[in-house]
Amino acid sequence: MTALHPRESRYGRREFLGRSAAGLFALSSMGTLLAACGGGENGEASDLVLARPDNPVTWKLYDDNPAIASGLDPEGGPLRIYNWNGYLWPGIKKGFAKEYGVEVEETYFSTMDQAITKITEGTVDYDVFIPTPDRLGRLVVGKILQPINHDYLPNLGNAWASVQDPWYDKSSLYTVPYLTWTTGIGYRTDKISTTPEQLGNPYEIYWDEANKGKTYLLDDSRDAAGHMLLKNGITDINTEDPAHIEHVKEELKSLIPAVNVKLSTDDYTNLPEGRAWVHQTWSGSAISAQWYLPEGTGPEALGFWFPEDGKGTIGNDMMAIPKSAKNPVLAHHFLNYLLDVKHGYDNFAEFVGYQPPLTALDPDKLVSDGVVAPNLKTSIVRESDFDTGYFLTELSPDGQIAWQNAWAEFKAGV
Amino acid sequence: MTTLEAPLAPPRTRSRFREWWANPWGRPRFLLLFTVLYLAWSIVPILIAIRFSFNEGRSRSTAQGWSLRWYYEDPDLSVWHDPDLRAALFQSLRLAAIAVLVTVPLGVALAIGLTRWRGRAAGASRAVSLATLVTPEIVMGTAFLLVFTHLLRFIELGTAAQAIGHITFSLVFVLIIVRGRLLAIGPEYEEAARDLGASALQAVRLALLPMLVPAIVASAIVVFAISMDDFVITQFLSSGTSTDTVPVRIYSTGRTAPTPALNALATLTLAITIVIALVLFLVWRAVRATRGQTGSAVEDFAALETEPGR
Amino acid sequence: MSDTERPVAGTRGNAVWAGLALPGVAWLCIFFLLPLYAVLCVAFGTVDPLFQRPEPEWNPLLWSTSSFEFVVDGLFTSGAAFQTVFVRTLVYVVIATALSLVIAYPVAYYVARYGGRWKGLLLVGLIAPFFISYLMRMLAWINLLQDDGWVNDVLMWVGILDAPRNWLDGRASSVILGLVYGYVPFMILPLYAFLDRIDRNLLEAARDLGASPFQTFRLVTLPLSKPAILASIVIIALPMFGDYYTTDLLSQSPTTSMIGNQIYLYVLGGQQIPVGAALVVCLMLFLAVFMAYYLIATARAQRRVGA
Repeated sequence: MTALHPRESRYGRREFLGRSAAGLFALSSMGTLLAACGGGENGEASDLVLARPDNPVTWKLYDDNPAIASGLDPEGGPLRIYNWNGYLWPGIKKGFAKEYGVEVEETYFSTMDQAITKITEGTVDYDVFIPTPDRLGRLVVGKILQPINHDYLPNLGNAWASVQDPWYDKSSLYTVPYLTWTTGIGYRTDKISTTPEQLGNPYEIYWDEANKGKTYLLDDSRDAAGHMLLKNGITDINTEDPAHIEHVKEELKSLIPAVNVKLSTDDYTNLPEGRAWVHQTWSGSAISAQWYLPEGTGPEALGFWFPEDGKGTIGNDMMAIPKSAKNPVLAHHFLNYLLDVKHGYDNFAEFVGYQPPLTALDPDKLVSDGVVAPNLKTSIVRESDFDTGYFLTELSPDGQIAWQNAWAEFKAGV
Repeated sequence: MTTLEAPLAPPRTRSRFREWWANPWGRPRFLLLFTVLYLAWSIVPILIAIRFSFNEGRSRSTAQGWSLRWYYEDPDLSVWHDPDLRAALFQSLRLAAIAVLVTVPLGVALAIGLTRWRGRAAGASRAVSLATLVTPEIVMGTAFLLVFTHLLRFIELGTAAQAIGHITFSLVFVLIIVRGRLLAIGPEYEEAARDLGASALQAVRLALLPMLVPAIVASAIVVFAISMDDFVITQFLSSGTSTDTVPVRIYSTGRTAPTPALNALATLTLAITIVIALVLFLVWRAVRATRGQTGSAVEDFAALETEPGR
Repeated sequence: MSDTERPVAGTRGNAVWAGLALPGVAWLCIFFLLPLYAVLCVAFGTVDPLFQRPEPEWNPLLWSTSSFEFVVDGLFTSGAAFQTVFVRTLVYVVIATALSLVIAYPVAYYVARYGGRWKGLLLVGLIAPFFISYLMRMLAWINLLQDDGWVNDVLMWVGILDAPRNWLDGRASSVILGLVYGYVPFMILPLYAFLDRIDRNLLEAARDLGASPFQTFRLVTLPLSKPAILASIVIIALPMFGDYYTTDLLSQSPTTSMIGNQIYLYVLGGQQIPVGAALVVCLMLFLAVFMAYYLIATARAQRRVGA
């Protein structure tokens, strides 16, 4: 499960992992939940599994929740999309509307919790929904999503092989990939004297006292903790080991006297506007940041570090079709539309900054097209990163509590 | 002195200075300077922000020409064209209108009732009514959030909950302003009406309310302004981007504030608030002119009294 | 002297007034007292083990104190997070309130006593901050405080600074000044209202008795203003305790976080909402002392006026 969708904290209340996990299943008590929900309407308790990269899951298909038949004509719309704010280029909506002669409406949510509550209530019928892998199990078992008919999705082949058949949804039965990102370290090349690449342990850049008052971590308990864990060589970034949690807490606290660390999720403007010289950054932000640079400063002023071997924090989300969709065929066409290389590329380059995992969008092409500055090439997520990277997934309730308390103590500035 | 005497020689400079210094009714220069400095400190940053809302370029800190680009010309990012900014403006106005329409009548009735009511219950009610003034907003926001998600679940988060929140915390301001006026007016007018045969309520309606108009106008203005400005409670009770108001929008994109459209949004909010205040003020002035009453709404506004006057 | 509190002639008098006040009081009971009770019930409640949604306990007999134990433990253990933050908040509020008073009183005094012709205009200037969104004022300041902002430009031009200073690097002084900037207008108006109503005759009498202007101020005006000063202190200090967005905007550093930030983290953080509620309750208990003072003083003053 991803700790926090980059859009989640940017536009709404900062509902952290905990709250989003609260709407989910707990490691130990999933069965109880499903039993409580009742058998017939939803899936059986045994269907609910925790997907992990080393424990991939193939979801069950249900008779009472079939995929639509093949070869149907698209409906008349309007197509209703339920998405994060600022996460879909208006040009896509316009283009699709024109091509299919339908209206396209988009509604925003600011937290995943809120989105799922709204969909499960059933008051509004959305045709397209953008969930994250950490919610998928519940959505599938709760029969909130309908299986996808791949006959309508010839463009699915454009995506990376590993993401067409991901660990959280083998064979892409219920979802197709939308966008992907990594969490690395952004920096101002024109302001700092030592770059992360020059250090033996790049994560130690956070303690560089030359950047005092200008060092930021993401205001996200899981992402910040992730980097602290990786700095210490702990690769299980979903660990619940109290010793690890304590260690991370001490590391975070040590940043305060060292560099007076600050916390923010506005990485895409803190860096270009000079408030930050070193900033824990999401890859999409590194790309968007180019567009917020002041006049006279070129994109070469920005830098982004992510481990060369791809062993860093990675995340992604998906597109899905709710079972209650009124225009399922149209929805399938929309999914296919976004999986088209040109449209995916435009969505990324014109507006969102987060990239779709499409094979044709390789780093060299994006650089040569001028979408991404050459020095920011590292912020482009590569296909191999999907296999080597570490995903932040969900924790048990006790683990969540332990991490939240550690984070609160750090934020208290003790 | 009955005889003219030769004009006194001009006093020596030092005692003239002393006299100037010692004149109790003279204008104290230091205080004047202090006040002017305070007003500048208070208002000048706003004027600067307003200036940048008219920027031609994207900068929010360097002057780059003049244009209405961020108000409506820019096809994507201006306040008029950016659906999020527009929605925030309308949500702010919607909530403020609801707040005024409900809080003012409720508050006026409450003020009149509380001022005259006798007894223990009255005292307790007065205490409760004033309590919201000294309650931190995060406490109220948390309380509202919890009650609407666990007890009064039929009230969904969003506009309804936000409206209720706004009404609840603006009530006390109406109470204070109207009470202040009531205490200054005194009971004579009502008593006169009662002597002429009116019932208590008739006396209130016919004799008291017209005299309260300045205070009512002032409290309407206050409620409007407070509601437009509220941030914490609106944020806690928001159900998503569609129920964000201008302050919430400013907060969530403010530190980054990519364009001066945000300045434009805030300027518009300010302009609208001022216009509404002026309209109400002028309406009241017109009414007052025809009725020949006394009282100053501005003074009532300023009389957010914490203790009743002497 | 107003004698509004004298019972207006009439037999059913009291019921009429109670009736008028009823809708407002009922509203406050439902939408102020009840939510506070809900906070109590969540704080004394439990969480559902699955989703960790709070399960409020409406029956006081079944209240569970585990969240409170956690919070109280944090508040009274020296060096613990809650205590550190709380003490820091107290310090900030005290300093900011004191500074606000130092600024507000002279301004209110000047406008009340010497406003003269300009009084209306000055009042408009004093009232203006109410119409301008607090956030917009803060934003305007953040803009000015940037490395390349006007504050640094002016200070360097005047010569006080040699190089631009990073005012937004998470220093306490920025946060405290931010608090002052935000809350001082709320202090000026009540002080003004009071000072405006001081009987001029008293001041003249003092002058006639030979007091200098300064002595008049010290021996007459100041003592008279005491209740108003105390009331205005309470009015801004108590809400300031719950402030969390000033430090979020001006600092973003853990070293300046206030108790409001901790409450925000727990209440909106998902797993430990009862802990957040317990923090809120503890904060209210602490403030209740001052709140009670304020309410009692107000009631007493009203009785003095002639109820």
